[in-house]
Amino acid sequence: MKNSKLFWLLGLVLVLSIFLAACGGGEETDGGTETPDSSETDTSNTDDGGDDSASTEGGEPDAEQVLNLVEGAEIPSMDSAIAEDSVAFNILNNVNEGLFRLNEENIAVPALAESEPEISEDGLTYTFKLRDANWSNGTPITAQDFVFAWQRALDPEVGSPYGPYMMAGTIKGAKEVSEGADPSELGVVAEDEKTLVVTLERPTPYFMSLMAFGTFYPQNEEFVTEKGDDYASNSDNLLYNGPFVLTNWDGTGLTWTMEKNEEYWDAETVTLETINVDVVKETSTALNLYQSGEKDRVGLSGEFAMQYADDPEVVKELEPTLFYLKFNQERNGEETPLANENIRKAISMAFNKQDLVDVVLANGSLPANYLVPTEFTFSEDGEDFREINGDLTGFDATKAQEFWQTGLEEIGQTEVTLELLGGDSELAGKMDAYLKEQLETNLEGLTVNLKAVPFGVRLELDEAQDYDIQNSGWGPDYQDPMTFIDLFVTGASHNLMSYSNEEFDSLVEQAKGELAQDPAARWEAMAEAERILIEEDAAIAPIYQRAVMALQKPYVNGIVSHPFGGDYSYKWAYISGKE
Amino acid sequence: MTQNYDNLPQGSFDRITRDTEKAERISKPSVSFWQDAWRRLKKNKGAIFSLILFGLIVIMALLGPVISPYSPNSQTITHANLPPKIPVIENLGIFDGVGTLGGKEVDLYEMKNVEQNYWFGTDGLGRDMFSRVWKGTQVSLFIAFAAAAIDMLIGVIYGGISGYFGGRVDDIMQRIVEILTGIPNLVVVILFIMIMDPGILAIIIALTITGWTGMSRVVRGQVLKYKSQEFVLAARTLGATDGRIIWKHLMPNVLGVIIINTMFTIPGAIFFEAFLSFIGLGLQAPDASLGTLINDGYKLIQYQPHIIAIPAFVLSLIMIAFNLIGDGLRDALDPKMKD
Amino acid sequence: MARYIGKRIIYMVITLALIATFTFFLMKILPGSPIASADKLSPEQRAVVEARYGLDRPLPVQYFDYMFGLLQGDLGVSINQFKGADVTDVILSRMGPSAQIGFQGMVLGTVLGILLGMVAALRQNTWVDYSSTVVAIIGISIPSFVFASMLQYSLGLKLGWFPVALWKDGFMSSVLPSIALAMFPLATAARFIRTEMIEVLGSDYITLAKAKGASGAEIAFKHAFRNALIPLITVLGPMAVAILTGSLVVEQIFAIPGIGEQFVKSIMVSDFSIIMGTTIFFSVFLILVILIVDILYGIIDPRIRLSGGKG
Repeated sequence: MKNSKLFWLLGLVLVLSIFLAACGGGEETDGGTETPDSSETDTSNTDDGGDDSASTEGGEPDAEQVLNLVEGAEIPSMDSAIAEDSVAFNILNNVNEGLFRLNEENIAVPALAESEPEISEDGLTYTFKLRDANWSNGTPITAQDFVFAWQRALDPEVGSPYGPYMMAGTIKGAKEVSEGADPSELGVVAEDEKTLVVTLERPTPYFMSLMAFGTFYPQNEEFVTEKGDDYASNSDNLLYNGPFVLTNWDGTGLTWTMEKNEEYWDAETVTLETINVDVVKETSTALNLYQSGEKDRVGLSGEFAMQYADDPEVVKELEPTLFYLKFNQERNGEETPLANENIRKAISMAFNKQDLVDVVLANGSLPANYLVPTEFTFSEDGEDFREINGDLTGFDATKAQEFWQTGLEEIGQTEVTLELLGGDSELAGKMDAYLKEQLETNLEGLTVNLKAVPFGVRLELDEAQDYDIQNSGWGPDYQDPMTFIDLFVTGASHNLMSYSNEEFDSLVEQAKGELAQDPAARWEAMAEAERILIEEDAAIAPIYQRAVMALQKPYVNGIVSHPFGGDYSYKWAYISGKE
Repeated sequence: MTQNYDNLPQGSFDRITRDTEKAERISKPSVSFWQDAWRRLKKNKGAIFSLILFGLIVIMALLGPVISPYSPNSQTITHANLPPKIPVIENLGIFDGVGTLGGKEVDLYEMKNVEQNYWFGTDGLGRDMFSRVWKGTQVSLFIAFAAAAIDMLIGVIYGGISGYFGGRVDDIMQRIVEILTGIPNLVVVILFIMIMDPGILAIIIALTITGWTGMSRVVRGQVLKYKSQEFVLAARTLGATDGRIIWKHLMPNVLGVIIINTMFTIPGAIFFEAFLSFIGLGLQAPDASLGTLINDGYKLIQYQPHIIAIPAFVLSLIMIAFNLIGDGLRDALDPKMKD
Repeated sequence: MARYIGKRIIYMVITLALIATFTFFLMKILPGSPIASADKLSPEQRAVVEARYGLDRPLPVQYFDYMFGLLQGDLGVSINQFKGADVTDVILSRMGPSAQIGFQGMVLGTVLGILLGMVAALRQNTWVDYSSTVVAIIGISIPSFVFASMLQYSLGLKLGWFPVALWKDGFMSSVLPSIALAMFPLATAARFIRTEMIEVLGSDYITLAKAKGASGAEIAFKHAFRNALIPLITVLGPMAVAILTGSLVVEQIFAIPGIGEQFVKSIMVSDFSIIMGTTIFFSVFLILVILIVDILYGIIDPRIRLSGGKG
């Protein structure tokens, strides 16, 4: 018995050799994938809203029109009134349709609406004419389907997270209905089968882009009532009116399929026959599935990004999603050190964002010194909103240190300990570790304690304002700078850090009210508000604007990515050149 | 040959007398149970080797972060993702700073203009893996030892009382244990970590909250076995108190089992900590343990094997060492195994 | 025997009730709101949603309501992971794959482990013995997520013998996950059987059997093996626990729609009813395994008195 013990060592050798075998194999494959010595692609700005290089090169659709994709999470709900997560919105965008749809250039164009609506002088009444289109069961889509869906989304009993959030203050009577008033008070009327009249609370320049959002999709009253509690519980208990129909989804499973919808009004544009989706939560597994040819497109997270930076199959897309540090000025009824403006300014300048995006993220994300993302909103002459303000802050260790010293004197302390609340994902952990190190190195006397919690817990702490600094992110709900700016109005549901500036509030109010009909002045007001928020008050510290990096097989063409609502459209996608 | 007896020289034989005194003498030195166990353990090369190995690991865990010129959490972001490079050994073609990037082999140190040598390479934030690995070993061992010690304390007391007093006390106490073992420890651990602020303390408490039941069962069984034996009866007759009987008479007999059990608890705790890291409930960044290091690295096994290989190797060494020491102790302490 | 089992089942029910109570209150102090995007809901909506899931009522009422439902086999409704889905349905729909890989892993591991352990004991201190030890070491010294991803990479991607991941190809899909899960039972069984067999082989009755001229095979199987097997039953409990824990990891890595994978997610999104339901489900499973082990032990080894302590 005893001699054998020495051979435990032998075991160790074997363990080691397994590692080595795994690594050795790795090199082999990497060598196998031919990497043409192409010049480095400009990582920062190649993205043109989904118009990626791969899709422009593609030939004619020739092979079997099947697309195999992975998704990062299950579908919590496919009811367009209840949906709130990116997975559901992404599918909704492909199996359903609203009055408008974002096209390949990410412009909202008439979809179920036959044409651009008639808009009244005062910008308050929109009259939509519907085109002849059917639900997947053959019933025609009527204006009443919209009235029903919108009223339903506002019904407190339904508990739609996006219904009141998107409609209140925009559509007339939405707030009252969401508080229990009679649904007929909602300013949405079906004048006849094919005419929908929407009355707004106030002029909303971005209203058309709202119409492409999932919450505003129609629902067939008869079908929803008939299914009752079972509505949307699986793919059979749903009706579709988009380019595809959902099949094979049992309501809790990790797999579903989208098949071409023959009833779709624009079915001739749709080339793909089938899209197979599987939920794969591990990036490494997804990558292995991609390499084995089972999947056609997978997202790459930071740790893999470096290895694939020069891979010809890499696709990078800049998203209008911004990540920033929220500075809580009042915790448990007491002022935090962050109530001091200089302390906030010091922190917002004390970390190197360029290194962060280059090394930690390494996926084409941009360092952000602003609130409203770049390449997201454009004026009528095509000027990016970003060009008005440019950079409003930036990494500057010396200046940060100056602000820091002033701030410390003002609050009469020499050492400050702050808690940094963040997500529990691996990337979040890595990023927060980086921020901690940067802040502690650049600001003498600062101690940062990291606290990583699951998303649900973070929301709760956010709501209770029980944190000092929070690493937070925001993606747009509609195509207008306002979706970012009005987050920080005094008392707004996302503020939750006791930030309050009357000038900022009044600028936002102006942009929403009196200036609504004057695009140029409205943009100026929003730009000024953004400047106050970041440059003057340093209420938040922008970190980066996210880009996503994915591997996509060369035979996949025409997947369009969108800045808000559903992430992707497969309506125009096709397979070409697959053996 | 018999006929040659007479030819033997005088004095070849001494007459001895039977000495009743000497017959009782113990010719070999008297050895206590522990000396005997130690003697047997010493003969077990695997166990001794493991003890030395483990000693080395402990020394490195304490010294490693000190020897390294870099602290475990300090980041040099421009030096991120460097493979290991050790002077002298690099000439052998290993640990020479060459890694794969985009499928090609390149000397990453040259490429990034790094003058320093990172013996175990660096991670994605440019932190020195050498000091991180040893710091992580330190943390993992601390968690494991703390958890094992608490398990032992609670388990021994609980099992001892339950087994010694028996009857109704035993019945009630065993029902409680039964309930605790009925809840999957995985669930309890996860729930407790979520309730408490995540960190080393939370992990230790979560691990021990149900972990002690195993120890208590073993101790109870042993106490039940010994308490009805004659030497206990003798002690009781001589008027020893319950406390004295438990501590002076029962415990030394149960100790072997306790030690063996603890030896197997420690690797279990280290493993569980690694598992917690995988499901995202491990230590808080930037702290490192072997579990978090392996979890950070296993995805990159095809590209940057050093990030996982070294902590996994250390983990394997610890696991093997503990299992061998445990086996050795079992052989040494279990008289049945006497050879 | 029947009386013993009856008694055990009564204990089981009490244990379960206590576990449910314990988990219920633990859940209530858990941080995080089960209502996702609570930040977007208006106070009115929130009140309605809370009322729908009974979260607005006093704690004791919620508790008795839950326990009453539990009695009728009603585990409630998912709050946010699968909005509105019956927890029982969720568990049932996810149980199949977990049960399959768990069972296969357990059987594969135990059978191989027994064989390895036996061979090792019979060929003590030969290369056979050493290589079986080596396998056992691998089983206990590599974390399952590392082992699973290595399997996926080597046998799945490189050699292409089995599907890389996903639950699509029936039995073939279950092979790699089962192997990954089998490692722990394999290592445990191999080491256990080896030690027991060596002990048994050295005992008097084996010497007697040899003396009576029994063949090697007869001794190995008829005498030694049977007696070595009995103690193995005691480690079935811990093995089942390990499989349960392992399934969380393995299912996630192989993207299998199992219950473990789903459980991790429910914790991350604080879906109380699913966490509760799954915990109770796991507990029932574990308690049943313990009960079966005890009963089996009684049947196989008559020396153990069932009514007494397990000492």
